[in-house]
Amino acid sequence: MNSMNKKIFNEIKAIFKNIEFTDIDERKYSVIIPKEKAVSFLETLKRKGFSHMSLITCIDWIAEKEFEIVYTLFNWETGTTLMVKTRVDRDNPILPTVMEIWPTAKYYERDIHEFFGVKFEGNPDLRPLILEKWEEIPPMRKDFDSAKYSKEHFPDRAYDVDFLLEGSESNE
Amino acid sequence: MTKQQSAWEKVANMLRARSLWMLYYCTGCGAIELPPTMTSRFDMERFGIGPMATPRQADILLITGYLSTKTLRRVVYTYEQMQAPKYIVGFGSCTLNGGIYYDSYATINKLDLYIPVDLYLAGCMPRPEAIVTGFKKLMEKIDKGEADGWKRYQENYEWYKKNQLDALGEVYIHDEFHE
Repeated sequence: MNSMNKKIFNEIKAIFKNIEFTDIDERKYSVIIPKEKAVSFLETLKRKGFSHMSLITCIDWIAEKEFEIVYTLFNWETGTTLMVKTRVDRDNPILPTVMEIWPTAKYYERDIHEFFGVKFEGNPDLRPLILEKWEEIPPMRKDFDSAKYSKEHFPDRAYDVDFLLEGSESNE
Repeated sequence: MTKQQSAWEKVANMLRARSLWMLYYCTGCGAIELPPTMTSRFDMERFGIGPMATPRQADILLITGYLSTKTLRRVVYTYEQMQAPKYIVGFGSCTLNGGIYYDSYATINKLDLYIPVDLYLAGCMPRPEAIVTGFKKLMEKIDKGEADGWKRYQENYEWYKKNQLDALGEVYIHDEFHE
């Protein structure tokens, strides 16, 4: 960790107690924050130099009954990537929006709402962005059976097997 | 199989087979094989096949790769804009049986349920040699009057439309950025 990053991270640690910056790679760090503090934490990071929000994405931890929202931030002065992770309950996934900090978050949040069903409070436009006439549960959730859906909606080709499978018993 | 053709049809089919303007719907990796097929090494123009910019002037429609439900809607639009006679070539295993996307929630598995396909090129991906062989086969079929997908589409329009509606809900294209 170079001195510039150390200085920024120490400043942030002084404001937000009990947080740990994990070293992933050279100039790449991650941090976990409770969802109540997420917005103010991101706001602080923006003021400290992490001005560029590259991506918001979501991970479905089905065994732990939680969604993990990952904000990927970038610092143009130090060339550092920081991944801010926050967890939200899977049965009631509601998070505040970060549109006030980064207006582009609108479309990432719309996308996550569509594919995982996470609600972002304060985002005025959560209409479906890509899917059309979707009536099932959001398709990127791990309990959604994609193969079953495909079988019901898009028929497969039926093949007449007129050859012997290699290694099958009927070959002998 | 081959129907009796009138003398005029024989001449027309011979001419049709020798000047094909193609429109390609490059949805997937299949399109990668088209530049070498079109340019100097394989040079499909020596068979009388050339690229065309608009559906209304094209004869063959190439579907190169997987089709999602959204792109299928555009393909149906494009196909219906083309003037008869028109032929469809399906590239690669994606159009045949879904390929590696067979279990996706958004990818259709069998293209000939929705639009009439005259020729399939199997493989993932077919090499330019396979494409040239495929086009020669297609020319042969047109010459003999066997490539009659556009007629089948007219005759079985209800069946095709029903399959399209089953998979897509409706064929009308909604586009929030242009409405």
